[in-house]
Amino acid sequence: MLFILALLFAIYMSSASFAWGADGLTFEPPVIELKGPGEQVQIRVLNTKGEDVTAACVFKSQDSKTVRVSNKGQVISNKAGQTKIEVVNQSLVQLVTVKIAEADAGSKVTFEKDLQPILTRYGCNAGSCHGKQRGQNGFQLSLLGFDNDFDFYALTSESRGRRIFPASPKDSLLLKKASGQVPHGGGKKLPEDGNAYAQVLEWIKNGQPRSTHDELKVINIEIIPSEVKMLPRTKVQVRVLARYSDGTSKDVTHLAAFQSSESVLASIDAEGLIQSGPLPGEAAIMARFMEKFSVCLVTLPLPETLNVNLPTRIDSQHYIDRLLSDKFVKLGLSPSDLAADHTYLRRVYLDLIGRLPTPEESRSWLAETAPDKKEKLALRLLSRPEYADFWANKWADLLRPNPFHVGMKAVFVLHTWLRDCFRKNLPYDQFAKQIIAADGSTFRDGASVVIRDKRQPDELTTVISRLFLGIRLECAKCHHHPFEVYGQDDFYHFAAFFGRIGKKGTGISAPISGSEEMFFLAKKGDVKHLRTGEIMKPAPLKGKIMEFTEDEDPRQALAAWITSDENPLFAKAAVNRIWADLMGRGLVDAVDDLRATNPPSNPALLDALADDFRKHHYDVKQLLYTIVTSKAYALSSKPNERNQGDTRNHSRHYRMRPRAEVLLDMVSDVTGVAENFPAMPEGSRAMEMWTFRSASEFLDSFGRPDPNQDPPCERSSDSTVVQALHLMNAKNIQAKIVADNGIASKLASGSGSIELAIEDLYLRCYCRFPTNAERDGVISLAKSKNQARKQTLEDLLWALINSPEFVLVD
Amino acid sequence: MNTFIKKMPSRRDGLILGLGGLLGGGFCSALQARELATRKVQAKSVILVWLDGGPTHYEMFDPKPDAPTEIRGSFKPISTKIPGIQYSQHLPQLASIADKLAIVRSVQHDQGNHGAGNHYMMTGAPPRIPVGCGAFVSFHPSMGSVVSSELGAPPGLPPYFSLPSMTRSGGPNFLGARHAPFVVDGSPNSANFRVRDVSLPKELDGSRKVNREEMRQAVDKFVRFADKQVGDPATAMDDHYRQGLDLMRSAEAQAAFDIQREPDSVRETYGRNDFGQRALLARRLVEAGVPFIVLNDGGWDHHTNIFPTLEKRLPSFDSTIAALVKDLDQRGMLETTLVLVLGEFGRTPQINKDGGRDHWSNAMSIMVAGGGTPGGQVVGATDKRGYAACERVLTPEHFSSTIYSKLGIAPDKILYAPNGRPSHIVSNPEIIKELMG
Repeated sequence: MLFILALLFAIYMSSASFAWGADGLTFEPPVIELKGPGEQVQIRVLNTKGEDVTAACVFKSQDSKTVRVSNKGQVISNKAGQTKIEVVNQSLVQLVTVKIAEADAGSKVTFEKDLQPILTRYGCNAGSCHGKQRGQNGFQLSLLGFDNDFDFYALTSESRGRRIFPASPKDSLLLKKASGQVPHGGGKKLPEDGNAYAQVLEWIKNGQPRSTHDELKVINIEIIPSEVKMLPRTKVQVRVLARYSDGTSKDVTHLAAFQSSESVLASIDAEGLIQSGPLPGEAAIMARFMEKFSVCLVTLPLPETLNVNLPTRIDSQHYIDRLLSDKFVKLGLSPSDLAADHTYLRRVYLDLIGRLPTPEESRSWLAETAPDKKEKLALRLLSRPEYADFWANKWADLLRPNPFHVGMKAVFVLHTWLRDCFRKNLPYDQFAKQIIAADGSTFRDGASVVIRDKRQPDELTTVISRLFLGIRLECAKCHHHPFEVYGQDDFYHFAAFFGRIGKKGTGISAPISGSEEMFFLAKKGDVKHLRTGEIMKPAPLKGKIMEFTEDEDPRQALAAWITSDENPLFAKAAVNRIWADLMGRGLVDAVDDLRATNPPSNPALLDALADDFRKHHYDVKQLLYTIVTSKAYALSSKPNERNQGDTRNHSRHYRMRPRAEVLLDMVSDVTGVAENFPAMPEGSRAMEMWTFRSASEFLDSFGRPDPNQDPPCERSSDSTVVQALHLMNAKNIQAKIVADNGIASKLASGSGSIELAIEDLYLRCYCRFPTNAERDGVISLAKSKNQARKQTLEDLLWALINSPEFVLVD
Repeated sequence: MNTFIKKMPSRRDGLILGLGGLLGGGFCSALQARELATRKVQAKSVILVWLDGGPTHYEMFDPKPDAPTEIRGSFKPISTKIPGIQYSQHLPQLASIADKLAIVRSVQHDQGNHGAGNHYMMTGAPPRIPVGCGAFVSFHPSMGSVVSSELGAPPGLPPYFSLPSMTRSGGPNFLGARHAPFVVDGSPNSANFRVRDVSLPKELDGSRKVNREEMRQAVDKFVRFADKQVGDPATAMDDHYRQGLDLMRSAEAQAAFDIQREPDSVRETYGRNDFGQRALLARRLVEAGVPFIVLNDGGWDHHTNIFPTLEKRLPSFDSTIAALVKDLDQRGMLETTLVLVLGEFGRTPQINKDGGRDHWSNAMSIMVAGGGTPGGQVVGATDKRGYAACERVLTPEHFSSTIYSKLGIAPDKILYAPNGRPSHIVSNPEIIKELMG
């Protein structure tokens, strides 16, 4: 008795102390209001500093017949009434009021509203279980429950209706399997004493009702909090609220699915508890309920105490530097120092024109003292002819078809067109328009080859949306994209723009496909929805349906919509791609995956770059110039204490390996011996190749797109043992190193000193002078081996080529 | 994607960890994985003999003596060591070791051209969109690449070899270049055969070898950022450089490549021809611990003059494969080495006007030996005229799931493309139980 009194007193005191507002807890929601049995709400508990302490609290219901509460703060109603929940955090004990009203007269558990979220939440319709293509053990649901009719039919009618047994609901196979009463490959998913089990049972008892069309729809969901700063190894509980079409909202935390973009930094469990790891950085936590998403951005700043003397900003007014610096400050990052001149020189040559400077070019630029020598260099490089070859080669990765599929000549015509676009510096919106609305002959109009390759509206939809909007629509072809707002309807409305492509001539007759084909605007042409078979009308993504007369080309309208200033995605996708090429990683990564659930590392910068690009009429050279003249681009790759963990905010330069073609040209240049490729003029550069089908062991080893892959566009920049072996031992490279007309031989027989010869090789390979120690080291090594000068220079050249300072862009 | 990004916790890892329960990896596969773990790993290595073009089932492992002449052709069936099992007449040596072989006669599919057929059989997945006949395509990682990524390599050696070239769909697809086959071109039958790039160019004498390495050490002053968080690609390059040197210096690796070390008698047994010596090289690689080797043998697309052509080709094929199986057996390696012989599909029942047979994916025969496979059996059957599989009808998925299971890889494991898209290694994890023993 005395104990109870003491306890009551303690509770009184603590709630009183909260009333005084000194050191109490606050609750979200402050008062819990539920309706009818089986409703659930997640409580969040914050301390006076606003820190989440939910996971450190103990919860207890004062009347467990009315309301139950789990040790994680999940409150579940049993019956109408009012009571309180005790929340204990360390020495604090406080009460939360719970009010449970009678259920609405008309309210009932329905398939769409209640069953589908349960089937999704417990993984029944996941890709590995009943959601996979052929279902599991004969029972198939639509992936993640995007097809209500299909799923309802599967549950109630298929398999002679034995999945649901209304005469004795508890004996329904659905419940017996899900609760593990009969053997179930997926195990025990819905325990008999759980809320989900009760809801399914209720639904079967009530005759398996469905929602009618005018019934409640989810308008959006909100994850709370939407932004949170966390210290290492701490926990934050999130809540998810769904808003419905009738203006009400409901806690759906227990029915939401969660996913972290960077689980190592911040993971989230099935109940919505975020746990931060030991590392600083950022993560996006996505919550999904039905077809809606919401994202919570988690920031894990560096400890403030670490080496406070380092700079927090890049000292520059360039908008790129400014906006990146804003983010450094937010995360407590410190930018690296500027890279040495020779590092910048090598970097900017390889990044803009895909080749190394000659020793003469390096000598003269390194000796220059003008303050604007970087700007001048950038302008010079952008007007070089190699610029077009290099950037056309990059775009070829994205567009170039397999010549065995579309024919040799067509591939060559496309290649010529691409190079021409970059030679003329065609504004990017016009470049896009020419591809989207391509017509004409595959023997004359390069862009039309893209249509020859991607012949069907669905293929074009996938390619065009990915290239020019940075959206991956292909998932939506067969099922609602699980992390995206787009569904099958959106996909086929988009595909309908490609319905009226007329074709004349000889189509694909692989493996030769040698003939010409023409494309033009056909009078008719339908695109049907894959599932419903309905004929779809063209509509931009999430836009209004468009009507066209016989003479109007829907693709022109699509091109206009995609490239219009009102469409933010077009410029963003473009600048993001180019940024990634120069800076080692996209502001959005992967570069063609722009979506709310994959936020950019620096939204302000992405917007600014996109605005700048639009303002300059989509001038690609201008954009490149802007980036390479920022100080951010010129930062050293050497990390400091406050940025070594940064892999996405560009507080240091990220080292990269140049693409296979660039590297092969580099080897040819530094050895002074050109390559010979099949079907190319003698002495051609790898960068100028018009097909991936020219045999080259070097290019294959270094991960050029595999021509056998379809589409052949995945380029690999992995380093491999095969590459190491090839550089060390390949016959071809050895032949270049020792060739009589090669550079080692020329330098050996020339009149210059050995010192000058060594300097020349260093300049060729590393774009810098050797240090005295390096030069002396080489000379004394050669002396100790009593080697001929030619051999020494060959070995030196071999050693330079086989070092990371050559193979990587620093 | 760049190397340094790969090393960091990336979005993809997030997807791997976070998506596990959502799209895949859930409880279902966990159960199957456990079931698999309790099963014994039967095979450590696979030698897959790919007969490119589509080997005929009639003239090899599924003769139809009772069919009309225009179907059964001119070859006669012969008895094998196992009563009741017959092969076609030009495979006497394989017939004499039929107790070691299992013949699957009932795999069928619907991909009637080389590109698509190769894709289906080499990856266990049909091509997603129709592909042309001569196409080289890949929509899914090949079995060799999956094995490379799942089982890894023995010290000093790559895990996946393809001799003398990659098959059409033998590539890694989304698994990345690391898991592409290590292609050994050239003919091990020629006197000056060397595996490409694994030893210094011949003209360099021993002292030059040392000099270059010393020179490299003297020259390489590039700063490495050791902290793993930085994800410096130079450190990955160092690893690969070291592995490359290991391969060059590894006595085992060099020995495996050095086919000249085989006694002449053994080389003769395998056959002194390109194919025979490649099979012998494959056995040497298995001895060195390599888990997956493909022998890509061309010229099996017999649209014309099938009988005279096969009369020439089959005897040496027969003796090479028989020699391989027997040699593995004598060395005690057959128990853990799975030998497979197959192509894209079988061939048409009706002999065509040019005396050949055309593509036919309704029926095909696959030869399986070793790796825990019970020999002396035939799995499934085609109808009396060899038109189609009719008993125990199986798919390429069954076939590849069986291979993975034997190697201890769960066929329904979920792999992730760099864009985060999950896919099962094989869409249907059912196996061919008869081959499991």
